[in-house]
Amino acid sequence: MSDVPAASGSLIRVRRFGWTRGGGSRQVALLRYLLIRLLLILPTAWLLVTVVFFLMRVIGDPISAAMGGRLTQDQIEQRKEAAGLNRPILTQYWEYITGFLHGDFGRTQDNQAIGDVVITYGAATFELVFWGLLVAFAIGVPLGRYAATHRDSTSDAVLRFAAVLAYAAPVFFVGMLLKLIFSVWLGWFPVGGRASTDVELALQHVSPKTNILIIDSILYGEPSYVLDVLEHAVLPAVALGLLTGGIFLRLVRVNLIQTLRSDFVEAARARGLSARVVTGRHAMRNALIPIITVMGMCIAMMLGGAVLTETTFEWKGLGYQLAEYLRARDFIAVQGIVAFIALLVAVMSFVVDAVVALIDPRVRF
Amino acid sequence: MVAAALAGCGSGRTDEAGSGAGLVVGTTDKIFSLDPAAAYDNGSLLVENQIYSYLLNFAPGDTTPKPDAAEKCEFSTPTVYTCKIKSGLKFASGNPLTAKSVKFSFDRMLKINDPHGPASLLGNLDKTEVVDDLTVAFTLKVANDQTFPTILPTQAGPIVDERVFPADKVATDDEVVQGKGYSGPYTITSYDKNKLVEYQANPDYQGILGTPKNSTVSTKYYATSDNLKLDLQNGAIDVGYRSFTPTDIDSLRADSKVKVTDGPGGELRYIVFNMNTMPGNTPEQKLAVRKALASSVDREALASAVYKNTYQPAYGYVPQGMTGAAEPLKQLYGAKPDKTLAAKFLADAGVATPVTLNLQYNPDHYGSSSSEEYAAVKSQLEASGLFKVNLQSTEWVTYQKERASDGYPMYQFGWFPDFPDADNYLSPFFGPNNFLQSHFENPGINAQLTAETTEADPAKRVELLRKIQTDLAQNFLPTLPLLSGKQVAVSKPGVSGVDQTLDGSFKFRFTVLSK
Repeated sequence: MSDVPAASGSLIRVRRFGWTRGGGSRQVALLRYLLIRLLLILPTAWLLVTVVFFLMRVIGDPISAAMGGRLTQDQIEQRKEAAGLNRPILTQYWEYITGFLHGDFGRTQDNQAIGDVVITYGAATFELVFWGLLVAFAIGVPLGRYAATHRDSTSDAVLRFAAVLAYAAPVFFVGMLLKLIFSVWLGWFPVGGRASTDVELALQHVSPKTNILIIDSILYGEPSYVLDVLEHAVLPAVALGLLTGGIFLRLVRVNLIQTLRSDFVEAARARGLSARVVTGRHAMRNALIPIITVMGMCIAMMLGGAVLTETTFEWKGLGYQLAEYLRARDFIAVQGIVAFIALLVAVMSFVVDAVVALIDPRVRF
Repeated sequence: MVAAALAGCGSGRTDEAGSGAGLVVGTTDKIFSLDPAAAYDNGSLLVENQIYSYLLNFAPGDTTPKPDAAEKCEFSTPTVYTCKIKSGLKFASGNPLTAKSVKFSFDRMLKINDPHGPASLLGNLDKTEVVDDLTVAFTLKVANDQTFPTILPTQAGPIVDERVFPADKVATDDEVVQGKGYSGPYTITSYDKNKLVEYQANPDYQGILGTPKNSTVSTKYYATSDNLKLDLQNGAIDVGYRSFTPTDIDSLRADSKVKVTDGPGGELRYIVFNMNTMPGNTPEQKLAVRKALASSVDREALASAVYKNTYQPAYGYVPQGMTGAAEPLKQLYGAKPDKTLAAKFLADAGVATPVTLNLQYNPDHYGSSSSEEYAAVKSQLEASGLFKVNLQSTEWVTYQKERASDGYPMYQFGWFPDFPDADNYLSPFFGPNNFLQSHFENPGINAQLTAETTEADPAKRVELLRKIQTDLAQNFLPTLPLLSGKQVAVSKPGVSGVDQTLDGSFKFRFTVLSK
């Protein structure tokens, strides 16, 4: 049997061939690969938490930040002592790590359980990243396909340039620009927030409350509230989505161009299939695999971007809250949130690697 | 259509929903805690002002504490301050508010002594005792402390429900909101920390703030002042209170869609001199340098050019608008820069010119305009030809450590009062073991401060306060006051009451607002 497919459905045959050829050993290798990737999550998270733990203590303490300039140095030291900040750093580290291993991420300075903070604010960030990814796909995939199929045309050049601009422009700058044009000048969208004040107040009383406002507004059952929530999501989603959309656009373009040159696509053309069918049904599938590969990295990028987008658009999520806690030098809160984000990114990378390994027979491990 | 279809279920709507936001107040301040034992910040203060009652409080427009939950309060002996509580008071939880509640509130604040809390304000309180169901007695460590009644309406003074709050630990916000252990003019009906809080008028409140002029108020919390400003201009909120940048205020003043209201502010910006390390070979020369500096800075220019008149020139240690305020520096060193006078101070003390000054400021703690402010100070001082200024800036945590360990000969500092009394601008700065740690201490000043804090006659006390400031300005100048802040609130047309609450008590009360 040849590696080169000659008819429709040949991809499946390639996959089957890939799985079949030494299938048993490949599956064992795959399992071993996934297990190693899974186990690597733990040291990655530990390393990150440790680095953050020690770095946070270099930038000062919360008592000095809040009370310095109002109290004498002795009084500040007394308060630090009372708050346990003067204990040996290794003791504090040991307590933190053992608590962490027991699922106790600690409490913020203002007495909130880190778990609650992550759930409440994480839901908002999840919603923003979801909308952002939606925009990224909506922009990146069709435009990438268009650019590939119109290679070296003026529109291709414009799209390539726009893609570079989209991912090179600082996300806060894009956010402010969008806000200025569409909120301040044109008045089409709200300045910020996740919903209007009335809507937000009403959604406080939804049960069960998910903190994902689009779901809460649906549960509430008031169409105007759903629209209000969507209206508030447009600009932040576009600001965040453009960042990844630009990457997706270029990836899809490059991969589609390569795929369109491959033998099995030539064969599909030779069978008389239309260009649309060849691109849509055969080439695009392969061209989209690299997007899954970079998805883990993109989600990490979007979480980073969310810190700025959330502040620009008053979207009170985990990124915004992280910035607030950093400002207040709230060690425990920053450690908790960073640990959560680290775990999330590590898990997402693992999932992405696993999915790619499963669906792409070209992957070797 | 999709939205309508999706929203068709409506299974999650509860009976509590749909009250409406009422009057909406926006702020960039953040709530730290709803438990008074751990709340010592502006964001928490805003909530406390609405939901808690105090034994004494400030009526709108007044800076003299008057009975709130108390019927009357007075010194029964020089060291005992006794308060009689109104009968029939109750918390929003339905529990009665008695002398036991008051004792519980003050005892727990001192016992918890939270590192972030205001327990230090009660430093002169020895013990609190229940005399009878409606009478409570505070025993003070120092007799005749005239500042004690002014401390009762501060963040150290909210009365909490002993059946709701734990005696020995800080309550969580959820415990406070659900337990309703407060008795102020409003109750919290919806609480999403630092996002959105909804208040409803409390029909059981009988205190000095009176019946609220609105039934519902919501507070919306902003990440940045520009979003707060834009929402005000778009009409999304009714009032904006704290904090706008000077540029924001300047542009809002020019916007006919909103109204900017100014009120007296308690913030003071000043330069601290380290009495040991500042320029000058002898104490006389050092004093001459300080006097020459006082005659060389142009406060008017700083207030208008840098702060767009959101600050005003400070010529005294106690800001204008506060009982006991005075402007001795205006008379002694001039309202405008006086190069001749400055040169005379230096020449008389034999100080060679130009005097090199190493001036430190902090760019991240006292607002984003500090850099501009101190660049202007440098330029003003050098324009006199008498000084050469090396301007340096340091990040806050390092800054406040280095300044306390004699690292800086002269440096920027700022102050926001703990309670609205002139003494709060004097004793913490110039009394024994003062927080400035600039090596200034003077027995004469200490004696005057003691006399002022224990003088029961208000008129005599004002006289003493003014005399201390004149003495400080004329003979010591341990600090150089530059500017005092204004309180600013911005409202939509049709909103009334903002001007009534922007007073020297620094309490923003929702009760007087209406639209």
